[in-house]
Amino acid sequence: MVVVMEERASEAQIEQVVKRLVEMGMDVHRSTGVTRTVLGAVGQGHPDKGLIEMLDGVHEVLRISSPYKLASKTFKPDPTVIQVGDVRIGGDEVIVIAGPCSAESEPQVRAAAAAVRRAGAKIFRGGAFKPRSSPYSFQGLGEEGLRLLRDASNTENLRLVTEVMDLSQIELIDKYADIFQVGARNMQNFTLLRELGHARKPVLLKRGISATIEEWLLSAEYVLSGGNNDVILCERGIRTFETATRNTFDISAIPVVKKLSHLPVIADPSHGAGRRDMVAPMARAAVAAGADGLIIEVHCDPDHALSDGAQSMFPSQFDRLMAELRIIAPAIGRAICLEPVARRGWGT
Amino acid sequence: MATLDELRDDIDRVDEVLVRLLNERARVACEIGRIKKELGIEVYQPEREKQVLAHVRSIASEGPLGAEAIARLFERIIDEARRLERRLVHGDGED
Repeated sequence: MVVVMEERASEAQIEQVVKRLVEMGMDVHRSTGVTRTVLGAVGQGHPDKGLIEMLDGVHEVLRISSPYKLASKTFKPDPTVIQVGDVRIGGDEVIVIAGPCSAESEPQVRAAAAAVRRAGAKIFRGGAFKPRSSPYSFQGLGEEGLRLLRDASNTENLRLVTEVMDLSQIELIDKYADIFQVGARNMQNFTLLRELGHARKPVLLKRGISATIEEWLLSAEYVLSGGNNDVILCERGIRTFETATRNTFDISAIPVVKKLSHLPVIADPSHGAGRRDMVAPMARAAVAAGADGLIIEVHCDPDHALSDGAQSMFPSQFDRLMAELRIIAPAIGRAICLEPVARRGWGT
Repeated sequence: MATLDELRDDIDRVDEVLVRLLNERARVACEIGRIKKELGIEVYQPEREKQVLAHVRSIASEGPLGAEAIARLFERIIDEARRLERRLVHGDGED
């Protein structure tokens, strides 16, 4: 770390900072300038940034190394590629995950799985336990929902990601899903993250609604430090003062995370925008910005969906989006599922 | 007039002497580190560092570098001596 002293810092104050840094096991390089003194601290010690900042005469403390280790590019320069069956997340191909917000009934789940598969999605999404803002909203079908999602995924040869909301659900969801999703509301549920660190399946970690990128990567660190190396980061919009959209979709987070971390990062334009008509533009932008994949809500009858209807795409809209992504992805050197299984269905 | 090559040779000769002397200084610092460890004295002695800087400033008035530049160079030398002593006293390895 670098400690910048105040312009009028006294010799005694500077000495006190050097003393504390040496006590913390650091080697100190002192540069006495005309107006300011700068102290460079290097070594294997673990200096406490907050403690140094509180010392008299300290103007600013800058950390050079990141507080997360395993998630950082310094630790692992090569990108992590996560294998889920025959699907590779974080490689050349942009992977699209799609499906309804929640499992509501067998026909609804089957129709959605068939529709997203035909359009080129590789992974099916859907919730069985729904964390809703209101306790009176639809809470999900529970294990019955998991069974419906798994059956539909098997039928359509899709992998399955579904949300795990607390520790007690891990064992159950492990029986049905290929990827555990940790929702934005649970991003800092550290006991859940620790436990998922022992899971043998990938974790899709959404960014918390008001989490900084550093906090998000620290949450990933919890999973990684437990021994689970397969973490997929997912930007889903953050809360800002803007009210035109449900959240403000932070596209810049994608290249920022790519620079800081080796982990794959995908984008959730459905929650990011919160409005059906905004999903496609945000999805296109996310892929153009370098996202390794997308997770999109698609519902065959969104107007009657039990949750998130307003932000779910019609299958025909999703199909068109996939066609657009097939033009955008190659422009930045990425592959994407080129041939939809069949082109039929939803008119034009 | 001396040629560029001859002057560069001069620089190399001076550097050789400098490195020998810096290592000689470091050996003395290590000896001090051992004594500090024995006596349980703190590695970081700001008063002594001040004396060392004042001393070199006082003898730096002649020559093109001047007191300020000599003090800056000696801050680096002191940093390295403190690093050596800390390794000796606290016994941890390289970065």
